[in-house]
Formats: sequence, structure tokens, C-alpha cells
Amino acid sequence: MCTRCLEMSRRSLLVGGGVAAAALHTGAAQARIRPSDMSPLIGPGFRPTDADEQGLWKEMERVEEEISGSNLLITDPNITGYLRNLIGDVGGPAAKDFRIYLARIPEFNAMMFPTGFAVVFSGLLLRMRNEAQLAGVIAHESGHFLRRHMIRSWRDQRRKTDIFAIGSMLAGVGGAAGGVYLGDYVRLAELGTILSLFKYSREMEAEADAMGAKLIAEAGYAPVEMANIWQQLIGEERASAAYRGKRRDRGYSLFATHPAPESRMADLRADAAEVTIPGKAYDNHRARYLATIGPIRQMLLDDQVKLNDPGASQYLIETLALDGWNGLLRFYEGEVWRLRYRTAKGDDTRAAQSYAAAVLYPDAPADAWRWHGIFLLKQGRAAEAKAAFSKYLMMAPNAPDAAWVRQTIG
Amino acid sequence: MRLLEESSMRKWVPAFALAASVALSACVQTRQYADVQFTVPQGNYKLLVLRPDVTVGSLTTGGMVEPRADWTEQARANIVAALRAQQASRGGNVTIIEHRNELPGVPAQELADVERLNFAVDQAIVQHKYLGDYLPTKRGRGLDWTLGQDAVRLGQKTGYDYALFLHAEDQVASTGRVALGIIGLAGCFVGFCAPNIGGAEQLDYASLVDLKTGEVVWFNVVSAASQVPGIKFGELRTPQGAAQMVERLLGRMRPGAEVRRAQGAR
Repeated sequence: MCTRCLEMSRRSLLVGGGVAAAALHTGAAQARIRPSDMSPLIGPGFRPTDADEQGLWKEMERVEEEISGSNLLITDPNITGYLRNLIGDVGGPAAKDFRIYLARIPEFNAMMFPTGFAVVFSGLLLRMRNEAQLAGVIAHESGHFLRRHMIRSWRDQRRKTDIFAIGSMLAGVGGAAGGVYLGDYVRLAELGTILSLFKYSREMEAEADAMGAKLIAEAGYAPVEMANIWQQLIGEERASAAYRGKRRDRGYSLFATHPAPESRMADLRADAAEVTIPGKAYDNHRARYLATIGPIRQMLLDDQVKLNDPGASQYLIETLALDGWNGLLRFYEGEVWRLRYRTAKGDDTRAAQSYAAAVLYPDAPADAWRWHGIFLLKQGRAAEAKAAFSKYLMMAPNAPDAAWVRQTIG
Repeated sequence: MRLLEESSMRKWVPAFALAASVALSACVQTRQYADVQFTVPQGNYKLLVLRPDVTVGSLTTGGMVEPRADWTEQARANIVAALRAQQASRGGNVTIIEHRNELPGVPAQELADVERLNFAVDQAIVQHKYLGDYLPTKRGRGLDWTLGQDAVRLGQKTGYDYALFLHAEDQVASTGRVALGIIGLAGCFVGFCAPNIGGAEQLDYASLVDLKTGEVVWFNVVSAASQVPGIKFGELRTPQGAAQMVERLLGRMRPGAEVRRAQGAR
């Protein structure tokens, strides 16, 4: 159709490459956002006054009604009350306006909605090793609200798509009038617009991290714990990929909505150093944290091992065991390998060993005895198996398989 | 002479194309399905309308939809008024609830469950009746979906005959979008004809559930869109636009196939 197209597109690609390289460069060299520069942009009892923000809030009414009534929520008043207190401590000026919901989803995530309600996934409670870490994540989410990120991103998107639409229309009309084809440049501008939207999103995340570090330090939590979260996540992702024979996606991408974990960790370490006041006592409240989530920890572990992601599950269990092994952790370690069960890789032996270790602890769940018994049977150690099954029946006399177990042991 | 003819032809082609595109650019489509046994509710029936789901937004210059709280409120009020007027004219007794806790004797959670179930069923209807994934097992069987016992229980508890679920979303082209369309129109004279960048758009659907049997007995979708921003076809923000929408969506209910056949035979 046109012979110059090839030449045009090559030239565009070169320019495009230049733009991408420049974007990558600025992305890498982007200065850390300092916690001291982060002050809340709203006060207590904030209500939107602009039409676009009011529209956003209106849309969220039904979203919150749907989420707050969802049957995925964990509604144990001890734990939800605990989360409410936490956001009350690290929520800055909006502390009293926040709502926080806990959803039973075994993933590392939490999110803040434009009207100030947060959803925390149960997978987060499994991973956090102390209250300071959980407070850090909640403070990060509060930071999104306090810095008005939702409406700012929306306006950024609106502005950039407006400019792109006007620009491409003018390029089309102007180009046609002047007899030049500018379509390739329009495509290039489209890419530029998209990249710029992602970059803005990463900046918002970096702001929320800095704001979060400041908030938890003010509340007396050790701010370095926020960086530790990322260190742990990197380890988990690496272990998960390694067991699947893959390499971890490091998250450095022009199309990423969040900065890569490595850069977040590095920035958060620097933030922590900046907000730490020498001589002030910081705490991580590990004991209080463990006591609160204790009653649901078994459920959290259960949900995690059923994801059938042995690399991640084993890493998590070992990480939690840094604070001391117990029967529950050993039992779920056994579950990880029993659920995968590649005998060629020795999963059966690993599972048997973990169950055997689990029952040595007083807090081993009944199922640990049951599986310990089954593996003993497989090894032909019938007398020991019988003892294990008896213990199982004693702990769980009404288990669904109790009759079968009774028959087995005779 | 010949040369002149050709050049004048060339001038006219875009103009024809433009005329055709403007004519086609605002179109309203409706398509309804009914249970084969469906008879249009008449006389003294009790209808429950659950939380009409209305959103009105502004279409930005760049093509994003910005929700607007004031327009949404206005549209909801207009639709509710139009719905009451329409149902009253048919003899129906209508209750419209805005929140899940407004129905006496029914816990909010129970109502939420019915609503969520209906949402899932509606999605299946749209998938298999409108979007092309037709199911051979449901061919010639009209609308063959049910909410089951949950809906029957709701009917028994409340005494309503039917439940109506209604969804309406409307986007109004902003001044910037209209201006962009005008530049596109101006471009037609230099050979870059792009007035049809997309303008106002409306999508409405409704499903009627028989609370005695639990079955979804009637479903209708109205979609209206104008390719050229600035061309309107009834905005939900205005009482007239809302009344027109309610009429398009619910005004011309047709009975099910078997009922029509029986009427024809008589």
C-alpha cells in the first residue's frame, strides 16, 4: 500500500526504543520518596467535594455493601477488633474513619478502597511474623487513602488519555491536511501514555511505602519490619519458583503497577533509617500478635498447604519456625509433602518424618497422630501404628473416620 | 470534463459515507426472552423491585467513563418514578427497596444471597442467550432458568408474586468528547474522517422472577449507543429519558411461545 511504511516504522521503532530506554533509565534512577516529605493530604472525617471524587465514592457504596456482607469474611470479633485497633493506631488523621475487613483468601495481599475501607487477605496474617509487620502493611494501605491516591491516579489517567485522544485526532486530521502519515507516531504516543500510567502507579506505591514507614514509626513500631516483609516475600517467591523448576519473575517491568520487591525493600530500609529516632524504644509486639491469631493459625496453614505450592509453603513454615518449631508447624510440613507425594523425590519419607516429629509436641493436632499412624502402617510397624491411632481416637472420638480407624486397630 | 467529474465524485464520497454513518450512529436494540409458559402480569399482582442498580457517568475526552454521583441519584429517582407510573397503569402493586435491610421479615443476608444468585443466573442468561454461546439443550425452550427454592421462600415470606431486578448504566458524552467528534467531523473534508469515535451509550437489562415457582420468566436487554458524540437518544438524567428507557425495557412484554400459540389457535 505504501512503500515508505517500512522506513517509517523502523524510524519509529528507533525513537520508541529511545523513549523506552529513557523511561527505563528514569525508572531505575528514580529518587526514593522520603518519609519526611509525606504528610497526609486529608484530615479527619474527609468527604469529597469535587464531582469526580463524589462519583468515585458513590460507586464504592455498593462495593462496600457487597464486601461487608460477603461470606468470605472472617468475622471472629477478636481478630476483626484487633485489626480495627491497628488501623486506629497507624491510620493517621483518618484513623477513626477507616473500616477494615478480613477475607479468607490464602494470598499475600491487602487493599484500600477509595472511600477508606480496607480488605486484608488471610494469607497476610499467616505470613506476618509480628504486629509491626502487619501494622506496616496496614499503614501502607492507610497511606494510599491519606495521600488521596485513588482520585489522583484517576485524574492522571483522565488527563493522559485526554491528551492522547486530542493529540492523535489532531495528528490524523493535521497529517491528512498536510499529506503526511503520522499513524506510527500515534502508536508510539499510545505506548508512551500506557508506560506513563504504569510509572505513575509505581510512584503512588512508593509514596504509600514512605508514608507507611512514617506512620508505624510514629506509633512506636520498629520501622525496619516493613523492609523485612519484602525480604521474606522475595525468599518465598524464589522458593516457589525453584520447586517448580522455574526462575522467579523479579518484577522489574515497565508494565508493573508496583515497584519490584527488591527496590521496595531497599527503599524501605533507607526509610526506616530515616524515621528511626536514636534512643527511642521501638517494639514489634510479637507475643500479642501470635496470641491474637493463634485461634485461626491452623486454618491459615491449612488453606496455604492446599494451594499445592510446596516451595512457598515449605519456605513459609520454615520462616515461621524461626520463632520455634511446634506440633502445628511440623504437622503442616508433613502435609506439604504428603499432598505432593512424589516418592521418587522422597516426599513420602519427608512426610513420615514430619508427622513423627509433630507428635512429639504437646500441641500436635489430632490429624498428626492419624497420619503418623498411617505412615507407620506403611512401614509395617503395626504395634506403633495402633498406639498412634488410639491417641487419634482419644483426641477426636467423633472424627468422620473414627469407625474405620477403630476397625483397623481391631 | 472527465477530470472534473472525477474530482467532484471524490468530494462527494466522504459526504455520503458521513451521512450513512450518522444515520446508523445512534441505534437502540432490544431483545427479550420469556419462559414458554409466561403470561404478562396483569391486574392485581404484587411486584418487588430489588435495589435498582443505576450508574450514570460522563464519557471523558479520552474515552473513559467517569461516574457521577448527582446524575446517578437523579437517574435513579427518575427511573423509580417512571417504574411506579408504568406498573400502576397495569394494575400492579409495586414495592421498590433501596437497601437490603428494608424488607420486613427477611434478613439482609438472605436477600443478599438471592440477589447474588440472581446475578449469577443473569450472567448465564446473557452468556447463553445474547453472547452467542447457545446451548443445544435449551433450544426452543424459551427462557429456561430458575433461582430455585431460595426465590420461592422469599415469595412465601413476603407474599410478593414477582421480583424484578433492574440494571441501567448510562454514559453521557462530555463537552470535550463532543468537541473531539467535531474535529473528527471536520477531518472528513481533508480525508481523515473520524466523527464516529463513540459517544453516549446506555445498557439496561431486567429480569423478572416468578416468586411462586422461582423461575426466571422474562428477561430483556436494551442497548443504545451513538457512534458520534453529541447525538442523543434519551438520557436517564431526564424524566423523559428515564420514562423512555422503562418503556423500552418493560413496556412491551411478550407472552411465552406456548401461550402465544394457544392464543393464536383460539
